[in-house]
Amino acid sequence: MMPLRRFAIHRPADLGEAAEMLDHYGDTGTLYAGGTELLLAMRHDLLRYEHLIDIKAVAGLDSIEARDGHIHIGAGATHRTIERSPVVRELLPVMARMEAEVANVRVRAAGTLGGNLCFAEPHSDPATLLLALGGTARAQGKGGERTLAMDELLAGAYENSLSRDEVLTGVNVPVPGPTQRAAYLKFQVHERPLLGLALVLDLNEDGSEIRAARCAVGCVSPTPCRSEAAERLIAGPAAAAGERLQQAADTLADEAALTDDREGSAEYKRHLIGVLLRRAAGKCLDANE
Amino acid sequence: MSDDKNRDFEVVNRSVPRRDGRAKVSGRALYVSDVKLAGMAYAKVLRSPYAHARIVSMDTSKAEAQPGVYNVLRGDDLGGLNPYFGHAVKDHPLVAIDKVRYAGEPVAAVIAEDELTAYEALEFIHVEYEELPAVMEPQEALDPSAPLLHQRQFEAGALRGFEGEVTAGRGTNLCQEHHVKWGDVDEAFAKAAAVVEGEYYFPMAYAYAMEPYVAIAEVNDQGVTIYSSAQHPFMVRHDLKTIFDMPVSQIRLIVPFVGGGYGSKSYTKIEPLVSACAWKARRPVKLQLSVEEAMLTTRGDDALTWMRTAVDADGKIIARQANIYMNTGAYAENSPLVCEKSSNRCVGPYAIPNVRIDNHMVYTNTVPASSFRGFGCAQVTMAGESQIDELAAKIGMDPYEFRVHNAARPKQEFFPGMRPFDGTLTEDLKIVADNIGWKDPLPSGHGRSIGCSASDAGAYPLTSTAVRVHADGSASLMIGSTELGQGSHTVLPQIVAEELGVPFDLVRVVSSDTAITPYDRSTGASRTTTLMGRAVQEASREAMEQMVRMAADVLGVKESEIETVRGGITCGEARLTWSEVLTRYYRLPDGEVIGRAYIRKDGDFAQLPVFWEAASTGIEVSVDEETGKVTMEKLGTAGDVGLAINPALAEGQDIGAATTGMGIGMFEELEFDRNQLLNGNLLEYRLPRFSDMPRTVKLELVQNRDGVGPYGAKGGGEASLNSLPANIANAVYAATGARIRRAPLTPEKVWRAIRAARGENES
Amino acid sequence: MSNAKPALVELRFELNGKDVAVECEPQQTLSEVLRNRLNLTGAKISCEVQVCGACTVLVDGLPVSSCTYLAYEARGRRVTSIEGLENADRTLHPIQQCFIDEFAFQCGFCTPGMILSAKALLDDNPEPTDDEIIHHMDGNLCRCTGYVPIVKAIRKAAAVMKEARG
Repeated sequence: MMPLRRFAIHRPADLGEAAEMLDHYGDTGTLYAGGTELLLAMRHDLLRYEHLIDIKAVAGLDSIEARDGHIHIGAGATHRTIERSPVVRELLPVMARMEAEVANVRVRAAGTLGGNLCFAEPHSDPATLLLALGGTARAQGKGGERTLAMDELLAGAYENSLSRDEVLTGVNVPVPGPTQRAAYLKFQVHERPLLGLALVLDLNEDGSEIRAARCAVGCVSPTPCRSEAAERLIAGPAAAAGERLQQAADTLADEAALTDDREGSAEYKRHLIGVLLRRAAGKCLDANE
Repeated sequence: MSDDKNRDFEVVNRSVPRRDGRAKVSGRALYVSDVKLAGMAYAKVLRSPYAHARIVSMDTSKAEAQPGVYNVLRGDDLGGLNPYFGHAVKDHPLVAIDKVRYAGEPVAAVIAEDELTAYEALEFIHVEYEELPAVMEPQEALDPSAPLLHQRQFEAGALRGFEGEVTAGRGTNLCQEHHVKWGDVDEAFAKAAAVVEGEYYFPMAYAYAMEPYVAIAEVNDQGVTIYSSAQHPFMVRHDLKTIFDMPVSQIRLIVPFVGGGYGSKSYTKIEPLVSACAWKARRPVKLQLSVEEAMLTTRGDDALTWMRTAVDADGKIIARQANIYMNTGAYAENSPLVCEKSSNRCVGPYAIPNVRIDNHMVYTNTVPASSFRGFGCAQVTMAGESQIDELAAKIGMDPYEFRVHNAARPKQEFFPGMRPFDGTLTEDLKIVADNIGWKDPLPSGHGRSIGCSASDAGAYPLTSTAVRVHADGSASLMIGSTELGQGSHTVLPQIVAEELGVPFDLVRVVSSDTAITPYDRSTGASRTTTLMGRAVQEASREAMEQMVRMAADVLGVKESEIETVRGGITCGEARLTWSEVLTRYYRLPDGEVIGRAYIRKDGDFAQLPVFWEAASTGIEVSVDEETGKVTMEKLGTAGDVGLAINPALAEGQDIGAATTGMGIGMFEELEFDRNQLLNGNLLEYRLPRFSDMPRTVKLELVQNRDGVGPYGAKGGGEASLNSLPANIANAVYAATGARIRRAPLTPEKVWRAIRAARGENES
Repeated sequence: MSNAKPALVELRFELNGKDVAVECEPQQTLSEVLRNRLNLTGAKISCEVQVCGACTVLVDGLPVSSCTYLAYEARGRRVTSIEGLENADRTLHPIQQCFIDEFAFQCGFCTPGMILSAKALLDDNPEPTDDEIIHHMDGNLCRCTGYVPIVKAIRKAAAVMKEARG
């Protein structure tokens, strides 16, 4: 058995106190939510903290609601809560389906969206999808509240850009319009995905034309990767998208700066980006989906 | 045993529920991890970061000074203990001495009042290493310029179980070699109608017994007592006898339920280390490894096999030759025997007149390799069964028909000097072919394969047991066989109940305590049902013979006047149950009779192997050609088990073995990058899951009662693994035209092979 | 590293239908408290990375990996371990009985976690399809059985429980 080293747990009454605690404990402390990634890293001695600040003690951080054309998901909401949320299922089914496939049933019961994003594990499913959906992160610290784009929040592998006293409080995801379609596909060999790919298409009324696209690839670079050049390539007639999707995949693969690792070679990942992008587009364009 | 052939069974050959069922579903089954002793301390192990290094110095004083720490065990302070163990070759120090030979090798152990304290103290141990060049690949390790792992000349272990010379420690990294030869392969290949030749790789695999290695030891005036998750407690006892220089009567191994073994808990693992800790700390010590430490303790042997096989114009296989390099890692463990077995298992299940196998088991600076389900057979069957399909394709024959055409026939001595074949492969193959719809049309992107294997199984026949029949008619069965999940605690009392004619529920099993239960050499090589089963049957009969004499005594008649019937005896009008015989004999409703049996290499067991473990398996796969992902759609198995004492348990062995074979065929592989294990955890070592299983599974047992076990039984539990990796390669070939000779067939590998195959076809 | 031991956590929770109170250290996991303090050893420790599910217990009805789930999190909650499944009259829960009937285990080390994971499924979705069973159970590993008998046992348990509901 691998024991966890000793630490203390603190329960802030509100966000202000959480910010104070973060500031106070500095490098010896960190926020703790579901613990599904943090505690594994601590058990492997990859991270050591003497103080865990239990952000779940702050009330209201796990709410999910639709407001102003956005879904607001509290950082403390678990994967399971999001997967089961009627609001998410109705307005953002792609997110509910993605959450239903995160890790396993136990991780989904305990792990939180906020913890997942802040831990910034490069194989995160939610980060990739939220990047494509244009989600934004809300953070609050001693200096007040601010909003960050998803690619601003994710600074690198296992690295977020929040300042020492800031707490991620939630994400805002724009509700896709009636002409928008979204898909998230992943390819997995080991416990974590080898590649995740999210695609959002904006179609014309009869679905014959792709007016705009957003796509992101995850797991293959330190943070999920978007390419506006690739997205521009996807736009055009839906019927003849094949060639453009292949070019877009190559452009996205270039942007992701693929490398060889245990999950696969850069060449294979490049190929898979093409396969998954085409399959994702197929799902988006399929009227039955 | 001819009198058994026509009997109607009351208890055996029935799927009676598992004896351990209630304990296991209610969380009450006791495993060593659950055991606590009064005054028990806990050990944690410091492991080498280097694959090969000299230990220059070690400072443990700071760790010893930590509050709650009792002692630190180190290799240069083992007092009078003899620190080297190994049943085959005594090359393994219980903790590193002078040097380390793989990254992850134990270099010290902290003994403390609790696990966390022991763990926290590890980082206060300072070790200075001088790194040495490491060698990770067998063929590199045999180069004369390669760094030498072992400088000492070793003694042979006391319980070798194989015939080969000890080559380990003779100035090279060769741990063991084995050669099989008959006929004239060169002549046969020269006149062959068709030949296939290729190099095949079977990966390093991790058995993943869910319960990692765990042991509790206590050393006192009574001797050494160890609770362990060991499969073979009597073999471990022998290693400890040497370490402590004590008679075996003073070494006690107790094995409660074991959370999976699959060979990985065969032989001695952490017991020397934990007992040395207990000796040093003068109190009971528990050492519970994590899965990640277990992955640094034992793995399966990988094998690189060059093989060629030839047929004549009639499609008969006339020759096979193989040159094999296997990798035992830093220590011999059981690899010398794996070397011998894999050489033998290159041949079967075909009758081949010209054979030459050269096998080399080599030390490298990797995690030590030892037994793993399939035991050498899976390694070479990857090559052998791939070549059967390659040859069939070359001569334009259906691979199923080709196998049937060449399979060893019943009673054929296909391996000179060994027991004639005691199975029915052509029948096994036909069952599987029918069950997976061999001739049915296939959807595009799908492929099928059928395969088979035969292993010289059963290990060495040395087993004893006692059946105690009590005056109330109940019985206690004393067995040294461990319950690993295979169901020995259900199957063996079924035999007692069958023989004595007492209800199954009245037979209690007492097992795996070397101070109490009679000697059993091992629980492995699929031997328990056959060898211990026979011992249990004979001991039951011996108890009945004694009770017949007792009945003659109490009835005042001659023994010859007494007839045994189910559950007792008759004599004229008199009918006595066993309970009545004993009660009248002792004149009290108490007392017992002890039936005994000793099995040795004699009689039915004079010729090895004890039995040929044979099975056929067949699969259908679909291949996503764009991603290379392989999905198993159908699985069929036919276990050639002679007679299933408990059919549900026998089928459970077959599907379990096939699933592990699927894992190794599709994604399981321990990977080293230079000197370190890269994927030594379950986040990165991929095991089969629910969603990997085929939706169509058909398991069948072939029961011709052709084994030497009780009622004609033979063992099972490994054979369905052996042909699976080759089946996957063959089915992927059938689906895509891409031939892959290295397992596992991961998606990228399959994608690349398909691309290469298409490229070749286009050009 | 600091040698000062952090303050103990006062834990009160409902365990298998009964209130328990125990002190633990903040870094102690729920499995450590169950196994070492409360002597309930049914939850088994295997992978320690939330992959295998051998340590599964239910917290407020949901499965969690007790090997990496802090005991602290159980405060005021309802914890079900395998020891809590048997009925008061010592009869087995239908899932337990079906695991025996279908030979859905061998070594038994995954079994407590499998059964509790299955219970969470059937409590939430009493009539799952095979696909739903496989999706829910996919995070529980078994090295012995090849999973097929476990799917059969869960399917059968669902039927038994349905019949009992009438």
